[in-house]
Amino acid sequence: MMQNATLFDYFNLFWFAILPYIALFTFFLITIQRYTKTGYSYSSLSSQFLENKIHFWGLVPFHYGIILILIGHFIGFLIPKQVLIWNSNPLRLYVIEVTAFIGGLFTLIGLVNIFIRRLTDARAKVVTSNIDWIVLSILLFQIVTGLLVAIFNSWGTQWFAASVAPYLWSVLKFNPNIAFVTPLPLTAKLHIIGAYTIVLLFPFTRLVHMLVIPNPYLWRKPQLVRWYWNRKKIRTQKSI
Amino acid sequence: MALKNHSGILFKVSIIVALFHIPLFSQDVVQYFKTNCASCHTIGGGRLTGPDLKNVTQRQSREWLVKWILDPEGILNSGDPYALKLQKESRGAIMRRTPGINQDLANALLNLIDEESKKEKSQFAGTRLSDRPLLPGDIEEGRKLFTGQKALINGGPSCIGCHHVNSFNGILGGGRLGPNLTRAYARLQGRKGLSAWLIAPPGLTMSPVFKEHPLDEKEILPLVAFLKNETEKDAPQSSALMINFILFGLGGVVVLLVLFDLIWSRRFKGVRQALLKESKQIFYSKR
Repeated sequence: MMQNATLFDYFNLFWFAILPYIALFTFFLITIQRYTKTGYSYSSLSSQFLENKIHFWGLVPFHYGIILILIGHFIGFLIPKQVLIWNSNPLRLYVIEVTAFIGGLFTLIGLVNIFIRRLTDARAKVVTSNIDWIVLSILLFQIVTGLLVAIFNSWGTQWFAASVAPYLWSVLKFNPNIAFVTPLPLTAKLHIIGAYTIVLLFPFTRLVHMLVIPNPYLWRKPQLVRWYWNRKKIRTQKSI
Repeated sequence: MALKNHSGILFKVSIIVALFHIPLFSQDVVQYFKTNCASCHTIGGGRLTGPDLKNVTQRQSREWLVKWILDPEGILNSGDPYALKLQKESRGAIMRRTPGINQDLANALLNLIDEESKKEKSQFAGTRLSDRPLLPGDIEEGRKLFTGQKALINGGPSCIGCHHVNSFNGILGGGRLGPNLTRAYARLQGRKGLSAWLIAPPGLTMSPVFKEHPLDEKEILPLVAFLKNETEKDAPQSSALMINFILFGLGGVVVLLVLFDLIWSRRFKGVRQALLKESKQIFYSKR
């Protein structure tokens, strides 16, 4: 079946027909296991109390950007035909492309600020674990490759709907048709591989907080958390 | 031991490959010819970009042809005189190694060509399009199909998603995933070559997409007319399109950042800064 297949063919086979299943299997297994065994570890491990000024310019642009981008990818995957219909007017195509690009830049600005904060603020640095650095690095890689694709391999909303969506559906139907994605430019392929890597690492990281979004947060009354005691004194008590 | 483990992994990978039935390596030979060969070759229909393949096995040995199909660029690079002659006749166009090709498939293709050569009219005798002259209305129709303003009948994506033509005056231009098509009509040597290409686009990115959503016959002549007009106009390429896109993005980001700063301007002042101030006062008063 694979006579004369080159090493390159095997690479493609691994990254686009085998890695997705390793990633999805690990994702579901560990996510469920972690939730049943240590459900309270589902947390974003917020460090907002430790430093709040750079935090605002990191977290806010990052989350607005990434939520927009993720929803966009999901729409392209779920209703590709409707996306093609939307894009049938060049002006509408431009609006959706520029909006997505702004979302990507927003995510990048937020993430760079998160990096700066965790590298320069002593308290934020202390609470940053190795897996946090790995997550931040992969996210940075993912955003940079996404932006490069948006600039140099436009118009992604159109060819995502035509090529990547059928490939993703073929993966979900356990009959991966990698011919859709193997001819794509290297940056686009790296972006897909990066996405699978994030899915793979997801259950081991603080990214799990996505699954337990505290929705009432959007409408509940603001809560003020404050202290009236001398924290320095408490920290120096021998009993602690 | 290590070898044993390694072969175990290979065995498992092979099973996975077999289970998932990767289509890249299992194509029917007629379909394979249609997808990978018919855009440049006919069987008895005359030359397109490449030569007419009718009775090709009588012109050259089967052994040479198999080698050529498996590695055309390698044979050209070796300086083979027959290969160089073919390249010259194709006005410099180079045949590429087709995806998933192997010795058995190359032999099967040659068998297919032999069988089709015997027929009075092969199914690969060339385009089945009408010979009617291209009309001015075709250019406008082709432009609409190119930009997506008129949807493709079989649901394929419009050309603008991946291609640009220089005369297109959209503020951000066409896509950059595929090549600029301004001179595609000339590159594919005119109406016949371009039509054959559009019937079954052999490009690796387009092939899987348009195999499922082929262009309709009624759409091909307008697109040919549009691209012919582009080649004739040969408008210069604008370098501002990509910069426009980046500037739009950066502009939007700046506006949004200012907006966010305004929306949450009381974020620190209203709550946290007041809290911090109060806490500090308590802290210092107790010292």
